[in-house]
Amino acid sequence: MMGSMTGNALPLQLDVADDDPDTLLAVYAEHGWGDGLPLIAPTEERVQTMLAALGGTDPDEVVAVLAPRLGEATRRMIAVNAVLAGCEPQHMPVLVTAVRALAAPALNLRGVNATTHPVAPLLVVHGEVASSAGYNAGLGAFGPGNRANATTGRALRLILLHIAGAMPGPGDASTQGGPAKYSYCVAENTEESPWGGYAHDAGVVTPSAVTLHCGEAPHNVHDMESDNPAAVFDKIASAMTSWGQNNAPISQGEYFVALCPEHASLAADAGWSRRDVASYLFNRATVRVGDARGAFDLLAWAPWQQCLGDDDRISMTEHPDNIKVLVVGGAGKHSSVIPSWGMTKSVTMAVEN
Amino acid sequence: MRIYAPAGEVSASMNGRAVSLTALAGKRIGVLDNRKPNAGLLLNRVANQICERTGAELVLIESKNAAIAAPDEVMGRLTKEVELVLTGSAD
Repeated sequence: MMGSMTGNALPLQLDVADDDPDTLLAVYAEHGWGDGLPLIAPTEERVQTMLAALGGTDPDEVVAVLAPRLGEATRRMIAVNAVLAGCEPQHMPVLVTAVRALAAPALNLRGVNATTHPVAPLLVVHGEVASSAGYNAGLGAFGPGNRANATTGRALRLILLHIAGAMPGPGDASTQGGPAKYSYCVAENTEESPWGGYAHDAGVVTPSAVTLHCGEAPHNVHDMESDNPAAVFDKIASAMTSWGQNNAPISQGEYFVALCPEHASLAADAGWSRRDVASYLFNRATVRVGDARGAFDLLAWAPWQQCLGDDDRISMTEHPDNIKVLVVGGAGKHSSVIPSWGMTKSVTMAVEN
Repeated sequence: MRIYAPAGEVSASMNGRAVSLTALAGKRIGVLDNRKPNAGLLLNRVANQICERTGAELVLIESKNAAIAAPDEVMGRLTKEVELVLTGSAD
């Protein structure tokens, strides 16, 4: 049963018989809402509890307008989706900041949502809020098992589905979809980073920050045996040079390289800085130019790259700054490479209320 | 019990759709090729067939990257020089 309506013919509120999860799932499904998983009913009381964590800021201020639907993401609507996803109030500042980051022009949300590629915004939580709000930066950080990571990532996806209109089909043309489109949130392991926090090096000097990187699901890289960083990073470079990723024909694409603490410390102990890691990978993650020209009809390369000869080698991205290095995870020797969708840039922002 | 719906309002800044042309005879047609495979081939053939059938004229062919919005100068030329644009082709 419908309650009040908006000008775009979608209801703002609904009357339901009860808050049984099956009832909610069925009512939402009638409107094409939801991600397929059970939801928590966004009652006024629950939404107000979420908003109370934002320190008295205007609940109806538009934080961001999200493409392709051009839906208005107010703090209230962000809170509604946070309730649906199972968030706790302390996750709201991270979520509100992430929503603001979604609308940054460099991120190109319209393209991210419209493409046939399985891209999803990876939300990385940095700094004090990661520990104070319970995010997992350690063992199993990409999931499952941690409420903060799981529900904040899920809430961001629900916001994309509902407010941005990125429903499979009319608003998201992804050919196969992908598991990262359910929930994709992780915390940076600053405590075990030999280079300090990523956000500080990205120019966001603040106690807490978030980064959004629109990319693929993590590509695993394991190295159990090497005792020198070059061997480890050669393996990482090999994961960066697969022809199937969008970064192969698009030179502005970024890579996030999520190093486990043991791989990071191996590099740092050998005197490598974060910048050195990026420079090494820039030089080692290369392909033969003629092979790239043979593989793709259209190459979105920087002008200087287009002048290279067929027998030259070309890096998978046009500049070392496009290789973003941070520490994620716990004990063990598995790192990951997260290639971007291509026509997008990551965004790092200070956490706000 | 009453609960919130999750989608909220649409921004008032959303552009409306252009009014459809009632006839194409004598109208100027443009093609905006998004560089998807065969998009230019398909769009140009459609444009030429429309011209043959209706008396419209194909006067401008532009291109853009499919992943991003068309640059302002491209949109400016299309707005100034044609009354109908054919665009949009997926993989």
